[in-house]
Amino acid sequence: MIFYIIKKELKEIFRDGRFRISAGIVLLLAIIAFFITFKQYKNTTLQYDEAKKSERRVWESQGEKNPHSAAHYGNYVFKPKSPLSLIDQGVDKYTGISVFLEAHSRNEAGYSDAADQTALSRFGELTPDFILLYIIPLILILIGYNTFSKEIEGNTSFILKSQGVTGWKLVIGKWLAVLIPSVTITTILFVTAGIVLSNMDNYGLFEWKEICFLYLVYLLYYLIFTNIVLFISSLVKKSGISLVINLVFWVLACFVAPKVASDLADTRYPYPTHQEFNEQIAEENKKGLDGHDPWSDKAQQLKAEMLKKHKVDSLHKLPFNFNAYLMQKSEEHQAEVFAKHYSILKQQAKKQDDVYKSLASISPFLPTRFLSMAIANTDYQSHWDFSEAAEEYRVDVQRFLNGTTEKNSKYGERYVAPADTWKKLKEFEYVSPTFKEVFKQNTSIFLILVLWFVISSIVLFFTNKTY
Amino acid sequence: MIKTSNLTKKYGDFTALENLNIEIKEGEILCLLGANGAGKSTTINLLLNFIAPTSGSAYINGLDVTKHPKKTKPYLTYIPENLMLYPTLTAIENLDYFLGIGGKSFSKTELRSFLGQAGLQEEAFEKRVQYFSKGMRQKVGIALAIAKEAKVLLLDEPTSGLDPKSSNEFGELLKNMKLANVAMLMATHDIFRAKEIGTHIGIMKEGVLKHHFLNDDITLQDLEKVYLETMTVNEEAL
Repeated sequence: MIFYIIKKELKEIFRDGRFRISAGIVLLLAIIAFFITFKQYKNTTLQYDEAKKSERRVWESQGEKNPHSAAHYGNYVFKPKSPLSLIDQGVDKYTGISVFLEAHSRNEAGYSDAADQTALSRFGELTPDFILLYIIPLILILIGYNTFSKEIEGNTSFILKSQGVTGWKLVIGKWLAVLIPSVTITTILFVTAGIVLSNMDNYGLFEWKEICFLYLVYLLYYLIFTNIVLFISSLVKKSGISLVINLVFWVLACFVAPKVASDLADTRYPYPTHQEFNEQIAEENKKGLDGHDPWSDKAQQLKAEMLKKHKVDSLHKLPFNFNAYLMQKSEEHQAEVFAKHYSILKQQAKKQDDVYKSLASISPFLPTRFLSMAIANTDYQSHWDFSEAAEEYRVDVQRFLNGTTEKNSKYGERYVAPADTWKKLKEFEYVSPTFKEVFKQNTSIFLILVLWFVISSIVLFFTNKTY
Repeated sequence: MIKTSNLTKKYGDFTALENLNIEIKEGEILCLLGANGAGKSTTINLLLNFIAPTSGSAYINGLDVTKHPKKTKPYLTYIPENLMLYPTLTAIENLDYFLGIGGKSFSKTELRSFLGQAGLQEEAFEKRVQYFSKGMRQKVGIALAIAKEAKVLLLDEPTSGLDPKSSNEFGELLKNMKLANVAMLMATHDIFRAKEIGTHIGIMKEGVLKHHFLNDDITLQDLEKVYLETMTVNEEAL
């Protein structure tokens, strides 16, 4: 029976001119979006590779130089593009993918794609995640809004009932028929992305299990949407009303809910302004050691401690360069201040994230969006992870540079490091969180999505008393 | 094949059908005459188990329709006043679908044969039914009954709105079904058609079966007279 229902429903769907046109447009958009994103992904990855090599080349070819000058000269580190950013670019576009590392300062990631674009970019881009998150649910609505109401409007429900159709089989058949076209488009998109990514060399570590899980997330999203669309269609007797209710649900779920969640999170746990944040850090830095001010009380205290510890009466007699030591201690203090304030900021971000995620239950769009970005390593958590790795590396760089001066010179000497010193600094290699780590962090979100599916299925299958 | 026992349907204080007792055997056609609201369609809806009786029972092939709603369905075919099919599907596809959901599968050749037996012209077999007249759609319904080898045919004013030629063709089809031993219950306003094809004729009013005749026991003129008298009794009293 189910086979006959699917066959008949699909025939009706494919013979409907509206579906053929819209499905054709969506498929075309999906191909264009995929092609554009693929081109961007390839370009960005090539640029990343070139920038990384060029940056290292510049760093290594500094010649003979004072290490602290090298520390101020600074260097850039870059966040590699995650392979699955081909499907979901997440917040990468806005957060920036490079950080300038220098002495005494923790800089934010910069050079975001959005900053390089015109104001028109505010209208959004044609990307695969846009198609997957917004357009395919719309196709599901277009296919499914009249699934049950058309039987009542067309008076076919009586003859159906007289043939002894079984309610749950009818629902399953119609449910599968509505899903098949959208799932086909999604499958084509994911399989193409998987094949393309698995055949690319030097474009990040691609794993099939990640893309398969991402596919599962989107599949759940569509199953939920289909359940809701069919439920609405079974509730109302007129297809026009069903279409309007479905579209209202789509707008609420995909556009209003994320805005409400975001505004609520921001209102409840606001971020300090950039100015406030920098002032707080500067204020606290002033209270500690300043490597450039050997006459400060703190520097004098450190000097006294060192002289006492090494039982000497002059800084010249210390077995290391005190100025470099002072500089390192100052860096350590500043690093602590940065860590403290960024930790507060991170906690605030986490609280915002928690509010945002706790609202995942108000719309199936939210958990899908979170999981999609998380698996693609393009979410805000991934940005934090990169920022912290960059800061850790910056602290290591300062330790290496100050340590070089400290070990190779005495107090009062102007140390010039040999040209081969810079090669000794280990390169920055950012490793994204593993799939296991990402899944662990997002288990609750995944469960919310599963819950959405279970509840919407129960509602659809157990409340349908039409047949 | 079709039997009702004190079948009653009430909606609050309104009685749509009261203590209906009928029995239609194989090869018999009971034509129920009556004005709108007489209880004809209610009887059919109760036999289809579309609505539940307030009291009494309805049986199809010996099975209580409320207790065995699914088991009774393979035995019957229902043709409503305006049989609606899926407009974007062809006659063959519609027939295939309705038979399929009833658990029966046939080859395309067999489906064509059923449609042919139901009197549908061959060139219409592969046409989308959105272009079909009411008469053509009714023929697809008859094809469904033929294919199912239905023992019971429930017809709710099937000839209303049909032109005389189509109505006559439809009557002939029902006669053929009668020869195939199908038990039929037809609700109709058409006294002439009822006299022509029915083996039994009933006249209903306000949910009650007022008269029940064997076709051979009454002439068309007498039937018309009784029908008109039955319909006007209360009006005169008023």
